[in-house]
Amino acid sequence: MKDRRSPVIDAHLHVFARQSAEFPREVNDHLPAEREAPVERLLKRMESHGVDGAVLVQIGGTSLEVHAYLLHCLREHPDRFLGIGLVPPDCEDPGAHMDRLAEAGDGRVIGFRLSRLGGPADPFEPVDVRRLPVYPIWEHAAKRDYVIWLYPRAVDAHVVPHLFEAFPQVRVVFNHLMVCPGPRFWWDEKGRPQADVPMPPETRYSTLGLKVGRIPRNTRGRYPYPNVYVHFSGHYAFTRQGYPYPDLAGWGDSLRMVFGAGRMMWATDFPWIDVDPGYGEVVRLPDEVFPDLAPEERRQLMGATAAQVLRFPAFRDSGGWLAP
Amino acid sequence: MNRPTPEQTSRWRADGVVPLPGALSGEELSRLQEAFSREAAEARPGWLQGVEQGTRPAAFFDIPDALPRDPLFLDLVDHPSWYGHLMAYTGGQATFLGAQFRTLPPAPLSYVGWHYDVPRSTPLHLKVQLYLDPVSRRDGAFAYVPGSHHPEAGPWPLVADPGQMPGHRVFEGEAGTAVVFNSHGLHTSLANRSGRGRRSIILIYEVYSEATFNPDAFARFADRLTTPDRRQLFRLEPRPEAETAS
Repeated sequence: MKDRRSPVIDAHLHVFARQSAEFPREVNDHLPAEREAPVERLLKRMESHGVDGAVLVQIGGTSLEVHAYLLHCLREHPDRFLGIGLVPPDCEDPGAHMDRLAEAGDGRVIGFRLSRLGGPADPFEPVDVRRLPVYPIWEHAAKRDYVIWLYPRAVDAHVVPHLFEAFPQVRVVFNHLMVCPGPRFWWDEKGRPQADVPMPPETRYSTLGLKVGRIPRNTRGRYPYPNVYVHFSGHYAFTRQGYPYPDLAGWGDSLRMVFGAGRMMWATDFPWIDVDPGYGEVVRLPDEVFPDLAPEERRQLMGATAAQVLRFPAFRDSGGWLAP
Repeated sequence: MNRPTPEQTSRWRADGVVPLPGALSGEELSRLQEAFSREAAEARPGWLQGVEQGTRPAAFFDIPDALPRDPLFLDLVDHPSWYGHLMAYTGGQATFLGAQFRTLPPAPLSYVGWHYDVPRSTPLHLKVQLYLDPVSRRDGAFAYVPGSHHPEAGPWPLVADPGQMPGHRVFEGEAGTAVVFNSHGLHTSLANRSGRGRRSIILIYEVYSEATFNPDAFARFADRLTTPDRRQLFRLEPRPEAETAS
């Protein structure tokens, strides 16, 4: 393991096994029963590139049963991983589901990923967060200190700040460059999910609240919700160019200005990047995009922030989880 | 055509922003509000579809290509309530770049934050924001940092709450209020926490330069651009030599 004071943490990725009785999961055209991204392959990549820990995000279904492989990986490698679970959209008691998963993971399932928020599609309609179908999930996250892992759809982008206002105590990690994709998703020939999204995203006016993106550095602002963090990840899905994704550099600069590197979390979104551009290239991406990254900024972006905010047991230091 | 008073001219130079209360009123304002609402209603389904697709922002709704939709709209560009100000502030060199017919939905966040519109290397760039609804601080009012248009002004802090920007002024006003501002200066729209939409029209101008001269931009309105000044304002013809700008 590297220097414990500056862990490198891959803050969002997926592992999954072939479908089996031991590790059941849902299958579809893109995740057929025989496709796998085993944790052993991930560990090889991590060791080759000096990555100490990772956040494993559930894929392959939302029921308790299909979380079996995620839970298996968390149990087998307790010093390496934390997990993010999913909640069935029709769950009658989401709080109980969340607690059962957290218990099954021995506390290492730390949060839950949300996509559809279910708000009014018309931004002129009033938003009452208590009437949102996801309200019980946020309410329970606030009660039990779970993390919300957020990847909202474009139609829900305007609902997001209402939830941030209602739950200032909930730690939120906004996935994949704060992009809220529309419905046009597909999988490319390299097995990667792709989203047809204008960049910088039009949803930024709702989620970020700042006019960034068109003229570099013409905006003066910081993100108003201190409990919200953003992933530096997912470039491969939004770019129209190859690595190192020069078409997204301006948006990356904007996020860095608004959040600061201390509120950003680098991630690979393994295994989708394993072929193109490759795990090592994504490890190097922050230095490609931010050549002026100061050592302290790099330390935060590459894992120190994730270690503290997500409270990785293996990387706790004398300053505590949330030491500045 | 209203020309600026000496006080307004001083204010323009010092602050970079001049409010014009009552710029529109009475029947003229009512007809404009009706036309705006009618065209907004017609365009709204397309906008909602774009919001769902992620191709249009949910944080504001602009009537697409608004100018040809109603004769009233084009006549706003050189409306006598503010055109005299624009010509005075630009030394008679104002040209029109475009317009935004914008409605702001309620939201907890400002959709733009503090910003300037163009780099300081750009020639004087001005806007007129015309409120079509009464606008208080809670309705997404326009705000400006007086003096921030000066090249030596700043630096300005990164603020999480737009209301914390030092020295800013909020421009509340009745429907029909216009605000003329130098868009090199820091400005924003505060969050619209009123629970209702806020309508305004933003007209965008710049001092004439060869860089923006474009006879094709508004050629489709040529039958209504019949005076030399209108043809120059809409960039069908170049502006003649500049006077001294105020």
